[in-house]
Parts: sequence; C-alpha cells; structure tokens
Amino acid sequence: MARITAGVTTSHVPAIGAALDLGKTEQEYWKPVFAGYEWTRRWIAEDANKPDVVVLVYNDHASAFDMNLIPTFAIGCAESFQPADEGWGPRPVPIVENDADFAWHLAQCCILDEFDITIINKMDVDHGLTVPLSLMFGQPKAWPCKIVPLAVNVVTYPPPSGNRCWMLGEAIARAVESYPQDLKVQVWGTGGMSHQLQGPRAGLINAAWDQKFLDDLTADPERLRRIPHIEYLRETGSEGIEMVMWLIMRGALGPKVKELHRHYHVPASNTAVGHIVLEKCS
Amino acid sequence: MPVNVREYLAEFDDIPGTRVYTAARARQGYWLNQFAMSLMKEENRKRWKADEAAYLEDWPMSEEQKAALLARDFNRLLDLGGNIYFLAKVFSTDGLSFVQAVSTMTGMSVEEYQQMMINGGRSPEGVRSIKEGR
Repeated sequence: MARITAGVTTSHVPAIGAALDLGKTEQEYWKPVFAGYEWTRRWIAEDANKPDVVVLVYNDHASAFDMNLIPTFAIGCAESFQPADEGWGPRPVPIVENDADFAWHLAQCCILDEFDITIINKMDVDHGLTVPLSLMFGQPKAWPCKIVPLAVNVVTYPPPSGNRCWMLGEAIARAVESYPQDLKVQVWGTGGMSHQLQGPRAGLINAAWDQKFLDDLTADPERLRRIPHIEYLRETGSEGIEMVMWLIMRGALGPKVKELHRHYHVPASNTAVGHIVLEKCS
Repeated sequence: MPVNVREYLAEFDDIPGTRVYTAARARQGYWLNQFAMSLMKEENRKRWKADEAAYLEDWPMSEEQKAALLARDFNRLLDLGGNIYFLAKVFSTDGLSFVQAVSTMTGMSVEEYQQMMINGGRSPEGVRSIKEGR
C-alpha cells in the first residue's frame, strides 16, 4: 500500500534556479541560501528517506496557464512534462517524469471526495516546480523519483483559502492510502515566504511572521488553517499568499509531525527563503 | 463558511502601495497580459524589439495601456490591469531581472533596493493598513 512518509516545503525563487544553473552557488550572496539545503540533500539521498513519488504542490507563473485558463487545483496526469521556456530559454534540468497511474488515481479519488480537480495532460512546468527539485536533488541527469505536479492558482484572486488547501491535503492522504502499490510518497509545498514583487511596497519581508508560520506547522497548525488572505497580503506581501500551498502538504501529513530540519534566509532576490522538512508520525 | 465578496475585495484597497490582482483587474488587463504572454516566443520578441509601437497595433489595448508599456511604467501597468508575472515577460525581454524591474516601482535606485533587501527587506511596520496606520 502507498504511504505518505514526509513533507517538504521550500521557496521556489527563479533566481535560485538561475544561480544553480550558472554555477553561482559558491558566491558570497548565494552561499547561505544553498547551505540550508545541504542537510536535506543528504537526508533525501538515504534509502530509507528517498521517495518513490513526490506530489509537488506549486503555482504556475504565467507559463503553462495564461489568462484563458485559470484552474484553482490542477493535477498533471501526462507521462512527462518539459521544463518551460519562461522567456530566457528552458532551464537545463531533466524532464519531469510522472507516475501517471498514481496521478490519475489521485485525481479520480479527489473528485469523488468532492474536490473538483482539473486534469492536465499537455503542460510545461516552470521554476515553481523545477527549482524545488534542484534544491533537493542537485543537478542529476534524471530526477531520482516520479513527480506528480499539483498546480494551484495563487495569481488571480481569489486563490483557494488556506483551510481548503488543508482539506485537499487530507483528501490526497486518503487517496494515497487507497492506492494498492507499495509506494513511499512525499508531499512538497512550495512558494513563499514573505515577498512582494509589485508596487511601491515591493521588497516587503516579515521575518517574525514567517518564523511563527514555520513554528506553527508543528506547534499550532490549526491556527494556520484559519489565516485569511488579507493577513497574508498585509503581513507577508502580495506574493506571500503562496504559503497557502504549504498547507496542502501539512494537511496531507495528518495531526502528528516532527520537524526534522529548518532553514530561513533573507534575501534571495526579492524573497525570504523558507524551507522545512517534516516527518509524519503515526 | 460563505464570504461576503464585496467586503473581501474592499479590504484589498486598504493595503498601501499594493495592487491585488482581482477579477476587475484581470478583466481590464486581459489583452495587456495576453500581449505579454506572446513575448514567450522568440519570433515575437524579435518583432517587438524591432518596432514596439507597430507590434502593439495588433493588440486591442487601450491607448493608456500602450503608452504605459512603451514607457515601461510598471506601477501604471498594474493600475491598468497588468499582472507582475505577465509583465515579467516584458522586462525579461528587456534583459532585466526581477530585482531590477521591481525596484523601478519603489522610487529607489536598483542599488538602494538591493541594499534594502540585503539588510532584511522592507519592514511591514506602517505599511499594513492605510486606515489603521499600522
């Protein structure tokens, strides 16, 4: 039977991908950003921790979805996905190989569980999905596991509420439990933390708020479910809303988790980088 | 729990220096943002760079939107329904990074803006709410 073993969250800043691709990770500016992922890269490479499949929750940044199609929750069900050309050529990273049987199973189960999921076949995946893979796995020839893309609209308002994201995570957990094949599944939530990329208030960072959010992923996740959009906007900048995607991961892990690792650094480009690894406890 | 959509949207106008990408903005900026998406193709970038004004003739945008695009006035473009991830196609075509383009909206030089980020970013103190002044 498939089982969820752990949850990982991380920011997915495009400049982090560019720094990796251009060999800048040892530069003084970037070194502390990447240092915080070294623990996770060792951890995830161990046999006991290596996932067979990652359900990777991310948002598309006007790459696969333009203003003609804005799915709130979409599961990628194709065999594979190409890295997107975001205007400066595709990132030099491996093709994203899906576990399409498992992805279709998730989509079917979530729909029967009353989540109206959009099913996507042809879709390129942008930095929102590929930067987290690079951070955890480095620069391999092929990604070491299958990846199910789960795209969430956090660009056009309203995005789903934090509570709805949490509940989708719970539905994903039920779907995983009903999958007969023996798979180790991780759920990753990406995006955040505080950042604002637009207007005169751009550059906003709220480290105290971010750290409390990281604390409460274990200490008080019920508080996180109830944070309204307006609080993300006021406290963490207009793009901080991406943190609702972390709650899909947290909802999927169930009530008891243990924090294994945490990393927080300001800045990467315009953004506060946050990263946490949570182990599911039975 | 049903949310009152008018109250939900009204709160967004109370955040200083921020344009939340609401349905109203998405409608106003539809062609502006679709134009920006067209720059993801190399052949379109070439045509745009060769003659920006001529390229814009193909797009049913308002004259204000066209003028703001030609001026790269990103705050004005946000007011006219542009979304930053779509506008990113425009400044990427110009060869600008997010930091370089974003800094132009803040009234700071790129160097000042970058230094602010290295120093921990812009504090939320005083820029959470216009009405409450906090």
